[in-house]
Amino acid sequence: MRAKLEVLSSRELDTIYGAALDILAKIGVNIEDDEIIQLLKKHGCKTDENNIVYFQKSLVERCLEATPNRGGKTVLCGRDPSKDIVMEEGQRRQWIIAHVLMNYFDAASTTYRTITKQDIRNFVTLVDALDSLDGVWMCTLMPEFDKLYSYFEYELGIRSTTKPVCFSSFEPVAIPPAFELAAALAGGEAELKKRPLTVAFCEISPLTWNKYGCDMLKVTAKPGIQPVITVETPMGDTGSATFAGNIAQKIAELLSGLVIVQLLEEGLNVLFVAPLEVFDMRTAQICLASRGDYVWACAVGQLESYLGIPIISPISPDSKLLDLQEAYELSFSLIPRLLGGNKTTVIHGLDQTHAISNELLLLMDEMAISTRRMVQGIEVNDDTLAFDVLQSVCSKIENGRRMGHFLNQTHTLKWYEKEHYPRRDNLIDKYNREKWIQNGSRSFYQRAAERAEKILKEHTPEPLSEDMEKTIKRIHEKYDIPMIGA
Amino acid sequence: MSDDVNRVYKAVLSYEKDAVVESVKEAIDHGVDPLMLMNEGLSKAIVEIGERFGKEEIFLVELMVGAEACMAGIDLVKQKLLENKIQVLEPKGIIVIGTVQGDIHNIGKDIVKTLLEAAGFEVHDIGVDQPAESFVTKTVAFGAKVVASSALLTTTAPYQKEIEEKLKEAGIRDRVKTIIGGAATSPEWAKTVGADFYASTAAEGIVIIKKVFEGE
Repeated sequence: MRAKLEVLSSRELDTIYGAALDILAKIGVNIEDDEIIQLLKKHGCKTDENNIVYFQKSLVERCLEATPNRGGKTVLCGRDPSKDIVMEEGQRRQWIIAHVLMNYFDAASTTYRTITKQDIRNFVTLVDALDSLDGVWMCTLMPEFDKLYSYFEYELGIRSTTKPVCFSSFEPVAIPPAFELAAALAGGEAELKKRPLTVAFCEISPLTWNKYGCDMLKVTAKPGIQPVITVETPMGDTGSATFAGNIAQKIAELLSGLVIVQLLEEGLNVLFVAPLEVFDMRTAQICLASRGDYVWACAVGQLESYLGIPIISPISPDSKLLDLQEAYELSFSLIPRLLGGNKTTVIHGLDQTHAISNELLLLMDEMAISTRRMVQGIEVNDDTLAFDVLQSVCSKIENGRRMGHFLNQTHTLKWYEKEHYPRRDNLIDKYNREKWIQNGSRSFYQRAAERAEKILKEHTPEPLSEDMEKTIKRIHEKYDIPMIGA
Repeated sequence: MSDDVNRVYKAVLSYEKDAVVESVKEAIDHGVDPLMLMNEGLSKAIVEIGERFGKEEIFLVELMVGAEACMAGIDLVKQKLLENKIQVLEPKGIIVIGTVQGDIHNIGKDIVKTLLEAAGFEVHDIGVDQPAESFVTKTVAFGAKVVASSALLTTTAPYQKEIEEKLKEAGIRDRVKTIIGGAATSPEWAKTVGADFYASTAAEGIVIIKKVFEGE
């Protein structure tokens, strides 16, 4: 990447990190699990009668050092290894993942409905087809699958794309069958250690690992799973209203999870997920797309580079419609993340983390292309300065007037696509008004719906092999879970 | 299609002028029939490029560079036909094109010209800032059936009406079709000045002109 937004100095980064270590050592973390408390005590942490554990600096730094992906490669694995998301310093592409959520927004009728299996298949198939999007993250909480929703959505995901499929889970019971499915995809449990399943779960702020979080820590801290520690510290609610303090708290909470994972299973790769919410004092709502998020978005890339652990920072517009607010929130969240060097971004859909829409994917597609182009910067060399071409164009003189142009120049042919990433479809309207009227005066939503429909007609994700189908059947039988069906 | 003709066809589709010139020279050296080279190689390729542009599968720059590469090949073939004293193909139609008086914008006009030439039409570009009389004089001189005028400025668009009047004065208005385009024009303006057609884009202009000659 060429363009780089830097909002924190190295001294400020040191100060925030130092504050995070102080929080862990002096304020401590509330842990609702005796086994984990004993483990931490065994490694020198002090505790008190309220299950508060005080993490000493040396332990935190030792565990951070022991995390193998720190400062190196972190991979989210796809069914097709060539589509893996590889996060590392200096990566050429910043990854963008689309999140699958619990509702589907039907933009034509502006109504929400509980997401269906077909909605998921269509959405993931679109992600599979769109080059700008790199994977899916699932968390649908679909009621029909009860506590096994993570397994089902994982299976639905891998059936519809060869790109990486990760999921967030609140239910430890769904992990074993998902682990077996991931192992089968990787080619066995030994291979799964190299190409792990990525599972996210959440801590509770301020500074609390509750019973559920601890159960998820224990069930995912095993070779073959890449745990994703998620923290949420809404500004003014369970986190400081000031950015520096809130970020220090976030880092402390993330590091507490990292320490526990390393003590449970040393040598596991770890990822972080950290949105930045603001508690809206007018509506008493936690808002994910706010000015707070936009500021955080500028800093998150620097923070993940400083820590050496990727921080995926989700984008979650608060808008309920595919409207101007949606476009505003999405763009203000996405652009600074990429300009700030954030390695991977997950985009939720509408209404915070509540709904997805196929048409919104097309908006993401366009925004992803534009933002990546901004990050690419401006190439300056003899060829791009185009002095000779300008001279040639200007040398075409008729009746004392310069009549040349660049439209017929091979230089334009060479550079137009490289410099502008132009679309070949009409998603973004560029016709003159007469032609636009002639084409039906269609809105962005209508064009996006048409484009999505066309892709779904033309694109078929690579099917699973017969052997994989047999393995999936065996997993269903073993765990007594029904086949997904239509 | 012989290998030589196929190479010419592919060279045009690669938009590389040097490759077109080289492949045409080679084909001629190998004794390939120049008419076949024109029809099956150059024309077939540029028609395909035009169709792809019409379907928005390629960009204008690909069409323009491809058309110029093709024209370089066509010039060589025409030379060979003349050397062999073979009748050069009849153009699909003759058109006079220009930008009206007071207006020096040429890009839109140049695009239409390039597209028409590549499509096999004989185009006489009278340039920019041209009085109505020039359009009429050249139409008569070249026996054109279509008069295409471009106006980018609202202050210069009225000269398109003058072209209509001068064509009538010369007694040839009913023998030609007129088409207008440019930012200052519209379908309503075409009706106001009495033009036969209005084109909102260069590509639309080509479609209309092709239809005019197909309907002859």
